[in-house]
Amino acid sequence: MDIATMIFNGISTSSILLLTALGLAITFGLMRVINMAHGEFIMIGAYTTYLVQEVFSKNLPESVFDLYYIISLFMSFIVAFFIGVVLERLVISRLYGREIDSLLATWGVSLVLQQAARSIFGAQPVNVKAPGFLQGSIGGTSSFSYVRLFIIIVMVICLTGIWVLMYRTDFGAKMRATMQNRSMAQCLGINTKIMDCITFGIGSGLAGIAGCSISLLFSIDSTLGTKYIVDTFMVVVLGGVGKLIGTFTGAGIIGLSNVTLETLTSASIAKFLVLILVIIFLQWKPQGLFAIKSRSLDE
Amino acid sequence: MSFIKKNSKNIVFTIIVILLALVPLFTDIGLLKSSSIVRYGRYITFAIVAIGLDMIWGYTGILSLGHGIYFCLGGYGMAMYLLMQKTGGKITDFMQRGGFTDLPWFWKPFLNLPLSLILIVIVPSLLAMIIGYFTFKNRVRGVYFSIISQALTWAMYTLFNGLQPYTNGTNGITGIDTIIGSYYDQTNIRILFYAALTALVLVYALSTFLLGTKFGKILIAIRDGENRTYFSGYCVSKFKTVVYVLSALFAAVAGAIYVNLNNSISTSEMTITFSVSMVIWVAVGGRGSLIGAVIGALLVSACEFSVSSAFPDIWQYIIGIFFTVVILFFRRGIVGFVSDIFEKVTVKKNKEGSVA
Repeated sequence: MDIATMIFNGISTSSILLLTALGLAITFGLMRVINMAHGEFIMIGAYTTYLVQEVFSKNLPESVFDLYYIISLFMSFIVAFFIGVVLERLVISRLYGREIDSLLATWGVSLVLQQAARSIFGAQPVNVKAPGFLQGSIGGTSSFSYVRLFIIIVMVICLTGIWVLMYRTDFGAKMRATMQNRSMAQCLGINTKIMDCITFGIGSGLAGIAGCSISLLFSIDSTLGTKYIVDTFMVVVLGGVGKLIGTFTGAGIIGLSNVTLETLTSASIAKFLVLILVIIFLQWKPQGLFAIKSRSLDE
Repeated sequence: MSFIKKNSKNIVFTIIVILLALVPLFTDIGLLKSSSIVRYGRYITFAIVAIGLDMIWGYTGILSLGHGIYFCLGGYGMAMYLLMQKTGGKITDFMQRGGFTDLPWFWKPFLNLPLSLILIVIVPSLLAMIIGYFTFKNRVRGVYFSIISQALTWAMYTLFNGLQPYTNGTNGITGIDTIIGSYYDQTNIRILFYAALTALVLVYALSTFLLGTKFGKILIAIRDGENRTYFSGYCVSKFKTVVYVLSALFAAVAGAIYVNLNNSISTSEMTITFSVSMVIWVAVGGRGSLIGAVIGALLVSACEFSVSSAFPDIWQYIIGIFFTVVILFFRRGIVGFVSDIFEKVTVKKNKEGSVA
C-alpha cells in the first residue's frame, strides 16, 4: 500500500469514527449522560436508510432511485432524533446527575432496541446499494472510492453544522448555558426541559446520520451498534470530554494509528494495540487531550 | 426475633445453599431434569462472580464492565490444562491449522496440574493488580473507569479472536473433560457441583467477614465520600486495588469451575455483553448486599434459561426493560424492595401494638 492510499484510508477511518462519535460528544460531553444505546441509534439510522431504499425500489420508477440516499440522510436524522427525544423523556430525564446509572439504564434500552431490530428485520444482515453517483472511484482504482470520499464530506458538513449551531447561534448559547449551569439558565428564562430534550435528540440524530453513512460500506444487522460503541467512547474520552476539537483530534489519532498499525500487523492486533495505547495514555492524562481546566477536586 | 432480624441475610443465604444442595436429590426423584445439575452448577459460579462484583461496585462504588476478562482468564487456564490432558500434551488441531509443529510456549505450563492451578489464580490477579494499581493511583474514577474497563474487555476480546492459532478464536476450547474425569459421568458432575457450592459458601463467608472488619468500613467510606476518606489519611487507591484484585480472583476461580461444568469456553464469555450481564445480576438482586448479588445471579440466570428456551425472542425485551426499571426506580434491587416492604409491615405492627 502506498503512502497516499494509507493516508486516505486513515482519513476515511477517522471520519467514520468522528461521525459516530459526534453525537456522543454532545450527549456525553455536554449533558454528562453515558448513552450506551448510542450504537443502537447508529443502527436505527442504518435501518432507516434500508427502509427508504426499499420504499423507493418498490414504489417509484428507477430513474429517481438515486434520490433515495439524499432523502434517507435526512430521514435517518429525523427518525433517530424522535426516538432520542422519546428516550430522553422516558428514561434519561430521570437520570441527570447519576452518570453510572445512566450508563446502566441505557444499556437496558440498547438490549431492547437490538432485539426489536432482530424482530422487525430478522437476524440476517441486510445491504444498502450505493446510489449511482457514488459508485466507482477516482481514477478507477479501488483505493479512492467515491463512497469514502462522500463520507468525509458528510463528516465535514456535520462537524461544521454542529460547531455553528453550538457556538454561533442563539439556540447554541442557550444549550450550553443549560448544560453548564442549569439553575442559572432557568432563572434567565430558558426552558431547560425542552433544551435537554432537543440536545439529546440532536446527539441521537447525528448517530442516525452516521448509521446512514456506514450503511454504504458495511452490511446492517442488529449488532452494528456494538461494533462502534467502544471506539466512539474512546474517541470522546481521549479527546477530552466536552470539547469538539478534542473529539476531532481523538478521532484523527485513533483512525490514523489504526490504519498505520494495520499495515504493520493484522487488523485485530492493530485494534488491540490502539485500545491499549489509548488506555495507557489515559493513565497519564485521565482528562484527555483537551481538558477543560478547573480547580475542582473531581475532574 | 432480633436474632432473625440481625442475621436475616445469612439465614436467607443458608436457605439458598440448602435448596441448591438438594438439586441433585430433586433430579433423582424426577422433579428436575438431570441436566439441571450442571446448569445450577454454572449458576453457582455466576453467583461467585456476582459476589466479587458487588464487593467492588455495591460496596466500593467502582463499576467494572470488564469482569468477563478475569472470568475468562481463569476459565481458559483451566480449559487449556484440560485440553492438554485430553490430547496427552500433543498439539491440537487448531494449532496445526495455524502452522505450528510444536506447542506454543505459554501452553507448556498447562501440562502440569499444580502449575496450571497456580497460573489460573496468578495471571488474573496480576492483570487486575497492574490495571487497578495504575488506574486508581492516577485517580481514574467513576464512569471513566467503567469506560476504560469496557475498552479493555473489547481489546482482549479482539486479541483472543485474532490469535486463532493460539486460542482457537471464536470457537474457543471445546470438547474437554472435567478435572476429575469424564464430563458425561454423573458422579463427577455431582462432585463438581458440590465443589462449586462449597466455593460459593467460602467466598460468601470470606466476603462477609471482610466487610465486617475495618477494611469493609473503609470500602463503604470510599463509596460514600472518596475525597473525605482520602483526606482522613487513608490511601484510597491501595484499598481500591486490593478489593479489585480480590473480586478479579473470585471471577477467575468461578471461571475455572465454570469450565468444568460447561465442558467448553469461548470468547463469547469475554464479550462486553457478558460482562454487563454480571452487572445486571448484581443490580437486579440488589447492589450493596452480598445476598442480593447471589439471588440476582441465580434468579436472572434461571429465568433466562426458562424464558429463552420457551420463547427465544422475548428474553432480551424482558431483561432490558426490567433492568432499566430497576435502575430507574429500585436502586437497591429485589433485596432492597423486599426489605423495604418488611420494614413497613413491622413498623405498622409496632405502631398498632403501641396504640393497643
